[in-house]
Amino acid sequence: MTIQEQYKTRVRELLSSGTVKMVIGYKAGTTADRRRPLFIRTPEEADQLLLDSACIANLSGYLIAEGLLSDEKRVGIFLKPDGIRTINILAAEAQLNIEQIIVLGFDITGQEVTALQGETAGDFSALIESIKEGAPEALKNPLIDQLEQLNPKERFAYWQAEFSRCIKCYACRQACPMCYCRRCIVDCNQPQWVNTSSHTLGNFEWNIVRAFHLSGRCVGCGNCDRACPVNIPLRLINARMAQEVLGSFDHLAGMSDTQEPVLASFKKDDSETFIL
Amino acid sequence: MRTEYPVPLAPFGQQLHTYKDCTMAKIGVFICHCGENIGAKVDCTKLAAAMGEHPGVAVAVDYKYFCSDPGQESVKKAIRENNLTGVVIAACSPRMHEATFRKACAEAGLNPYMCEIANIREQCSWVHTDPEMATEKAADITRSMVEKVKRNNKLKSIEVPVTRRALVIGGGIAGIQAALDIANAGQEVVLVEREPTLGGHMAQLSETFPTLDCSQCIMTPRMVEAAQHPKIRLLTYAEVVGVDGYIGNFHVKVKMKARYVDTESCTGCGDCITKCPNKKNSSEFDCGLGKRTAIYTPFAQSVPNKPIIDKANCTYFKNGKCKVCQKVCELNSINFEMQDEFIDLEVGAIVVATGFQVQDNSVYGEYGYGKYKDVINGLQFERLASASGPTFGKILRPSDGKEPETVVFIQCAGSRDPSKGVRYCSKICCMYTAKHAMLYAHKVHGGKSNIFYMDIRAAGKGYDEFTRRAIEDDEASYLRGRVSKVWEENGKLMVRGVDTLLGKPVVIAADMVVLATAMVPQPDAKDFAKVVGIGYDEYGFFNEAHLKLRPVESSTAGIFLAGACQSPKDIPDSVAQASASASKVLALFSKEKLEREPVVATNNETTCAGCWGCVLACPYNAIEKKDILDRSGKVIKRVASVNPGLCQGCGTCVSFCRSNSLDLAGFTEQQIFAEVMGL
Repeated sequence: MTIQEQYKTRVRELLSSGTVKMVIGYKAGTTADRRRPLFIRTPEEADQLLLDSACIANLSGYLIAEGLLSDEKRVGIFLKPDGIRTINILAAEAQLNIEQIIVLGFDITGQEVTALQGETAGDFSALIESIKEGAPEALKNPLIDQLEQLNPKERFAYWQAEFSRCIKCYACRQACPMCYCRRCIVDCNQPQWVNTSSHTLGNFEWNIVRAFHLSGRCVGCGNCDRACPVNIPLRLINARMAQEVLGSFDHLAGMSDTQEPVLASFKKDDSETFIL
Repeated sequence: MRTEYPVPLAPFGQQLHTYKDCTMAKIGVFICHCGENIGAKVDCTKLAAAMGEHPGVAVAVDYKYFCSDPGQESVKKAIRENNLTGVVIAACSPRMHEATFRKACAEAGLNPYMCEIANIREQCSWVHTDPEMATEKAADITRSMVEKVKRNNKLKSIEVPVTRRALVIGGGIAGIQAALDIANAGQEVVLVEREPTLGGHMAQLSETFPTLDCSQCIMTPRMVEAAQHPKIRLLTYAEVVGVDGYIGNFHVKVKMKARYVDTESCTGCGDCITKCPNKKNSSEFDCGLGKRTAIYTPFAQSVPNKPIIDKANCTYFKNGKCKVCQKVCELNSINFEMQDEFIDLEVGAIVVATGFQVQDNSVYGEYGYGKYKDVINGLQFERLASASGPTFGKILRPSDGKEPETVVFIQCAGSRDPSKGVRYCSKICCMYTAKHAMLYAHKVHGGKSNIFYMDIRAAGKGYDEFTRRAIEDDEASYLRGRVSKVWEENGKLMVRGVDTLLGKPVVIAADMVVLATAMVPQPDAKDFAKVVGIGYDEYGFFNEAHLKLRPVESSTAGIFLAGACQSPKDIPDSVAQASASASKVLALFSKEKLEREPVVATNNETTCAGCWGCVLACPYNAIEKKDILDRSGKVIKRVASVNPGLCQGCGTCVSFCRSNSLDLAGFTEQQIFAEVMGL
């Protein structure tokens, strides 16, 4: 039995036994290499489920859709390790109750899809620990190293060129499971901190604010990168910030559902003496 | 006197998140020359003319000194005549005169928080040389504040109640003095001491310089007075383990360590101490020169005079057998099952008087401390010279109990020694070494004392006279120089040093060597500072708010310092600082309520995403989680809610909040934005 069939059976079991009210998975998209989210409410609907190496989108953002979890019923969701880390962060930031989530874990290496053993986010802690150990290596990117070689002026020019394509469609924000604010700072117009027009200043303001808001929170799922209609390499910025946070604070986003946000927490034994 | 602001004020914090219309603003700009301080660099007349052109500015004038009485009057007059809606004073730092001008505005009928200071002195005229550019910059600064003040809100000062009870941490002379002064003024005090008795180091001393009065004779009456005072609650063998809250409203957690003796029923008869078979424990009070039982009171006049059991050395706790004390106690006061207890206190002010320790001299291997029994430190000599000490006041050397015929005192054994000891001067050693030499001369006739010193630092009332007496009347021989080595030879301690005045090395055969050990902070001072929430220096001495002008206040409002926990001090200095702290506490307690600036954060509950980042980020625990309920009582959502009583207005939460839901009164997003755009 293929892994896809195994999981179909599992989804049917979960739904028919009433363990979950819904399973969020993948179905065929408009082209052969695209997948769409599938919201399975009955065992029959599980027939449409697809699970293959094209299932790369991080679905966890759908969990915090208004009202989905408010009835305290469980929801199953297909998640890769980055998705599991995402729901850990969402739980740590009080956006969902981790006990309501049944994880159908899988991982993709090349073209191969493997199942991950476990049911709740906590079951994957050993896996996430190993991700952290490998993180310094995994976060490396030849393009980042190349950009680091540039002087600030050249780097600015690089990003100015990249951002010049930005049309402020905010697709990156909509695709990101971390962007759950009811009112985004760009929608705040008294005062208008972030200029909404698509010129250099506004584009820099928006993308820098977003990078800052994702520091210590981004798991690098790539949703923003894929959503961007003008192909700005957004993932680079977030990966660079993740490197910084890991190096400076030994913090990798989404280790557990009780992890404190890196920019909001401080330790009394901090090496800086101004912290009392 | 509390300022009564005559303006009827809108409920605080309501209008922060709405757009503020400032098209009807009438701003007065008052540009101060500050004599030549500003006037020499900034063309104030030109600046006033430029500001007069700025939209929304109704009046722009310059004057020599706006902080003077006529200056303030002219501001008030302008407010009344022009119905000003806001005022900008372009002058010195708001640290100097913000309060002055706010008060002037209030007196003229304007909300005091509609007054802003543009700092064109410290941030402009003092730091620039080119008058033209300085004037331009002053215009930028002032314009930016005009734009801010247009968006200011009519805030109302926050009143917080004051708990009129003080906590004094440390029951040495400083703590006792502070507690007594506060209590004698009629306010309640909780005095917490971590040792089993009050007294601290002063109770261990023999006689005190420069009057040579017996330390215990002047100390014990104070201890008794503190213990019997109706306004003082005494907690001994207790430690402060947690401090929360803020000035006027601290919540303190105190650990009452288990004494294993019920202090309520115990009468202090001492039968248990007499009968305790475990008698060979080193006495902390006698600095290891004497022995004590496992159940003990540190010294005869201990307050309270109730014993404790030293759990680490008690035979019962070690072997499970003995309980002799329990058998002999007629009042059944011994309770081996006793546990540590925690009590919570509500206090309005805290005096930290946790004292000092003497440095461990074993770092000086060349002096042989710890290796030779007759090399002792200054505090041990105090115990030898004390009538209550292990030798009943006779100077006998620890090794064989003989009277030493020659004693060498080594000063600065740790102090002023960056390589092994501490860089600072411990301040008291010159005086107590002179005193030791005197006591030795008085007690051992014909005894010869030699003192190696770097400098004699005897500044203080009667201090230099005292050291002269030691030299002239009591024949102490002062040798200016350091000691390089102490070794034993034929039952003598050979001290090799240098007399730099003669330019010769000297070797003295001594019977005893006394090291004038450095005063150092308590070993756990840094950790304790974190518990209480105060700052400390590189050594661990607690930091004062200002070395010269606020020497008894810590940097945390409502927490004061007394005694050697702040820096090395002698008894008069410690007592003086304790009384000063007490007067600060009493000034705080003189009001029922404290008035605070209303610079506090508020949360927009509509846009709050409830991520709780602010709850974690807040260093004052001022942000709580609040449930928003529907009519049936069901939780719709949870949001952050700021407690204005606890909020200190630091703005950490505001900068953290990703959805910009949090805002800071007095520094709202709109104000800051306008300020930036005004530049």
